[in-house]
Order: sequence, then C-alpha cells, then structure tokens
Amino acid sequence: MRNRNATAYRFLAPYLLIFSVFWVWPIISSFMISFQATRTVPWRFAPGFNWGRLIGDPAFFNALKNTLLILVIQVPVMIALAMVMAVLLNSPLLKARGLYRFAFFAPVVVGEVAYSAVFRLMFSLDFGIVNKLLNSVGLPKVDWFSNVTPAMALIMIAVTWRWAGYNAIILLAGMQSIPEDVYEAATLDRVSKLKQFFYITLPLLKPVIVFCLVLSIIGTMQLFTEPFLITERGGPGGGTETLGLLLYRQGFRSLNFGYASAVAYTMAALAIAITLVQLWLTREKQ
Amino acid sequence: MATVTLSNVVKRFGVFEVVHGANIDIKHGEFVVFVGPSGCGKSTLLRMIAGLEDISGGEIAIGGKLVNDVEPADRGIAMVFQSYALYPHMSVEQNLSFGLRMTGNPKADTDRRVKRAAEILRISELMDRRPKKLSGGQRQRVAIGRAIVREPQVFLFDEPLSNLDAELRVQMRVEISRLHKELGATMIYVTHDQTEAMTLADRIVVLRAGHIEQIGRPLDLYDDPDNLFVAGFVGSPKMNFIKAQIVGHDARGVVVELAGQEKTRITQPLAGAAPEAGSKVIVGVRPEHFGSAGEGGTDLVVAIDVVEHLGGTSFLYARTAHGEDVVIQRDAAKVPTTSEVTISIRKSYLFDEKGLRLR
Ligand SMILES: Nc1ncnc2c1ncn2[C@@H]1O[C@H](COP(=O)(O)OP(=O)(O)OP(=O)(O)O)[C@@H](O)[C@H]1O
Ligand SMILES: [Mg+2]
Repeated sequence: MRNRNATAYRFLAPYLLIFSVFWVWPIISSFMISFQATRTVPWRFAPGFNWGRLIGDPAFFNALKNTLLILVIQVPVMIALAMVMAVLLNSPLLKARGLYRFAFFAPVVVGEVAYSAVFRLMFSLDFGIVNKLLNSVGLPKVDWFSNVTPAMALIMIAVTWRWAGYNAIILLAGMQSIPEDVYEAATLDRVSKLKQFFYITLPLLKPVIVFCLVLSIIGTMQLFTEPFLITERGGPGGGTETLGLLLYRQGFRSLNFGYASAVAYTMAALAIAITLVQLWLTREKQ
Repeated sequence: MATVTLSNVVKRFGVFEVVHGANIDIKHGEFVVFVGPSGCGKSTLLRMIAGLEDISGGEIAIGGKLVNDVEPADRGIAMVFQSYALYPHMSVEQNLSFGLRMTGNPKADTDRRVKRAAEILRISELMDRRPKKLSGGQRQRVAIGRAIVREPQVFLFDEPLSNLDAELRVQMRVEISRLHKELGATMIYVTHDQTEAMTLADRIVVLRAGHIEQIGRPLDLYDDPDNLFVAGFVGSPKMNFIKAQIVGHDARGVVVELAGQEKTRITQPLAGAAPEAGSKVIVGVRPEHFGSAGEGGTDLVVAIDVVEHLGGTSFLYARTAHGEDVVIQRDAAKVPTTSEVTISIRKSYLFDEKGLRLR
C-alpha cells in the first residue's frame, strides 16, 4: 500500500512542484509582504504598518461598504432571477429551448471589455437607449455615471446581466436531476404546481443554490471589471470603488505592495467568513 | 363502487401507437394484474388510468364515471411507483402526510390516517427517518403507505417489487395480498413477472405489443391459454413447443405427427373445425405433463443433456430426435440414469400456424 502511494506521488510530483512554486509560495509570500513596509528601500518588517493603516483608512471602508452593498443587493436579486429563468427554461411548454439556453449563457462568453463598452453606450446620458426608453414612458433621464446611487445601480445591473444566465444554467441542471416521478407523486397527492415548487423543488435544490451563492459571493468580493471599465475606475469620486479596485490602485498604481497584500487578505478572509456563515445557516439539519 | 372500465383505449406518442384499443372491465374490490414483456404498454395503460398520460382514444371510467378529462388528483386513485418516488428531503412521517397537509386536511384526521397506515405496514418505528436511511423493503412500505393515507378507491402499482431482492419480493408479495384483503379496495398491479401475476391476481390481463392477448383467472390462463403467447408466458419453466403437422382425423379427434418423427402421433380431440391434413401446427406440452413411458399418452424418445435437481423435483433439459429442446419435470426419485429415455406426452395443447389455440 505504502509502495503504491509512493508511486502515485512520483507521478504527481511535477504538478505538485508547479503548484507549490506558483500557488502556495505566492500565497505565503504575499501574506508576509502584508507585514512589511514596502514604500521604503529596502523593505522593512513592520507588522502594524499596513494592517494599522487598513483599520483607519476611509478609502478602505468606502470600498468595503460598496462591495458589501453590491453583495447584499445584487447577489440575492441575481439568484432569484436565475431561479425564475431556470424554471422557465425547464417548462415543457417552452419551444426552442436550446436557443434560450445559449442566449442566457452567452453573456459569460462575451469579452469583458466589449460588454463594458456596450453598457457605457446603452446607459449614456444623452444617446443611451436606456434613457430614451425611460423618456418614452414619461420618466426623467438618469445621469448614470455622475451620481453615486445610479452608478451603483448600473454596476449591479451589469453584473446581474452577465452572471444571471450562468447561474440559471447551473440551477437548471440541478432541477433536471430531480426525478420526474416525485412530481407525479405530488400531483396525485393533489399538491399544486406552486406548492410543488416551494416544498419540493426549492428544498431539493438547496445544495445547488448554496453552490451558486458561494460562487457569486466569491465573485462579487473580487469585483473589478465593471467598476473599472463601466464607471471608470470606481467613479464618480470613488462612489463605486470596490475592494478589488482599491487593491489594484494600491498595488499597481501606487506600487504599495504591502498594503495591497493586506487588502487582498482581507478580501479573502471576508469571502471565506461569509461563505462559512452561509454554509452553516443552510446546513443539513437532522 | 370502484369499478374501472377501459373501452377501446388507445395511446399514441406522436404517430407511434403503443396501445391499440384495450377493453378491460375491472370489478369492485378485484385484484387485477397487467402482465407482459418489457415495452408492451403496461405502464402506459396504468398511467392513463392514473391520469398521468393523456388518453388518445377510447374511454376510461372509474366507479362508473367517465374520467378522460378528470384531473389525476380527482380520480380517487393512488399510485405506487416502481422507483418509490419518495420525497427525499422529508421524513417518513412527512412523506405520508405531505399530500394531506398541503391540501388543508384537518390535522387530527391526517394524524389518524398516517398512524393507521404506519400500523398496517408496520413502519411506526421508522417515522422520523429519511428515505435514504431505509432499506429497499422499508421504502416500498412507505410508498405503499403514502397511497393508503389517501384512502383511494383504486390502488395502482407499477412494478412495485422489481427493485427488491428475491426473498424480500416474496415477503412483500404476501403483504400486498394481505393488504388487499384488509382494505378491500380495487387494485391494479403491473408486473412483467408471471409468478407475481399468478400468485397475486384475481384476474390477469396478458399484454403483448399494445394488444390484450387474454384476460382470465390465473389458473384459467394456465390450463386454457387462448394462444401461443399466453401459453408460453404463463408457467415456469415455460411450456415446450414442438413443431408438428396434421396427418388426419379419427373418431377421437385430429391426428398430429411431430415434425421429423413419423412414429410419434398424438390424437387430440377438437370441438371446433380442424385444419385440413398437411397443415403445420405446434404442439405445446407443459414440463409436468410428460410422464414415464407407458403411462398412457404418446411415447417420445429424447436425449438428456442436463439434469437440474431442485430437491423435491428435477428438471431434465433434453432434445427430441428432431433436435427440438424440451424441458421435462420429474420427481427427484424418478430421474432416469440413461442419457436416452422414452417419455410419454400425457397432455398437450394444439396451436395453429398463427399461434391461435385449436380446441
Ligand atoms: N413518453 C413516451 N414517448 C414515446 N414513447 C413512449 C413514451 N413512453 C413510453 N413509450 C413507448 O411506449 C411503449 C410502452 O411503454 P411502457 O412504458 O408502457 O412499457 P412497459 O410495458 O411498462 O414496459 P416495462 O416492463 O419495461 O416497464 C414502449 O414502446 C415505449 O417505448
Ligand atoms: Mg413499465
């Protein structure tokens, strides 16, 4: 047995080596960098330097607030929307199912830069189709890019557009794995379609929903592209700056690697903490 | 009264017709088994009675009331699925009470029905468990329990025992029989296992490829099959079929000569018109209808290949001089020791070329 394990490890060795050098080491290294003052040459070990700054940095708390706000509003709305889409996709009444499945999944495949450009156009103040539509139903134009609240809404709309279909496909796969005869039994039990959804589909889909939530939480914690490209580097005035953007600004604009590492670790720790709470809340009770 | 009547029932999937006009009359309290090979349309027929499949043609009535357009839940039926179809995330108790709870049945009544079903099926001590933590037999009981709490007029079973091992199957078979006596409800039961059909049924409906081949009491089907298919399907080991030819008639009936064996002639009384001499026919002999040479009937020489000893009885796998396989049942004490023996055909059935019984 031990012999066979040794052989297996020898086969795994090349992968483990690369994994250690390019994954494990950077993770450890960046953790150590977060304890160093990196604006001086040479870098110097100063445990409180970056972490101390983090605790009192208004820019950090602004980014944290924005990130959590997006998390709390956008993720549940998106999952609910994805659920509705999945139910529709799963309906036997639907024609051309493949087409819809493709259409829902397509946003994920579209290049981030291209989609951001299209969103900027669609939401532009004077020429955007969105404001034209608002006008046509008698609503006033919205200046999406220069006020904080509409800008945040825009980010959430964009992220939702991009990822709702993706989650819908995952939920659909989960739905299709529930055996048909369970629903037939419920139908014979005189249980309405709506109750079947709430008492059978939702509970049986719980693991898949949790999976989607965890993926979305991790994704939103790292949110970068949309506020960078659509609202131009977290504009207006840092109103849509996320932790991912702050990290980028510190690491790559100011070359303050120590502080950027501290931000990165905070993001990861938050994502893990929220996910654990999530898993604990939805654990299998018995 | 929970009678079930099918008149000219047809089922099509697209252009594909899978049930071709079924007529079945099921009496109140009767236990009727649909039996037939895989794909013959048993489940489809059952699901049409349940309302899970549309009826493409004909009429289905339950308790004298036409149900073609009645919702499944309003037909007064309950169904037990082959896969059990239990709600995996609910305890046994919740599985049993789910339908009643969802439809606002009074709690006291729900509790009473669940308790009674659990007692009938002896699953009272499993009430808090999830289906995953039950054995196959226990799951089966829960599935049946879920049907019982609905207090239906008609129970429908779709191969409920096919996922169980042989021993448990026999045990559950007895339980289902007991349940039928206890509840007195009409039961329709689908299986492809003819033993199950024979042991459970008041009446059996034999299906093949969407056609009803014969309807009758188990022993009637066994003793008096209408055609080759029913004769071969009912009984285990199955009836032996030997090719033959009509050579003439005498005072006692029609005279048949086994193919390739001029000396082996059987005289069979016929009530109906006999086919003319020279027509090809098939002689069917059940394994237990072979006797020892000279016991009466027609003697036949066979070569024995294999002997299977089952204890009290034995089965001899043999070949006729013409090369046709036959299975012969014998008392263990009377198994011949030579490889070639003469046996006698004590009783036989005659079928014409199309497979219809000649009688
Ligand atoms: N939804 C469907 N669409 C098309 N054809 C179907 C459908 N359901 C069943 N069939 C066909 O109808 C025929 C009868 O099927 P059915 O399930 O009733 O057979 P069965 O007698 O229950 O067989 P088994 O013993 O394997 O369960 C089969 O040829 C099957 O392929
Ligand atoms: Mg079937």
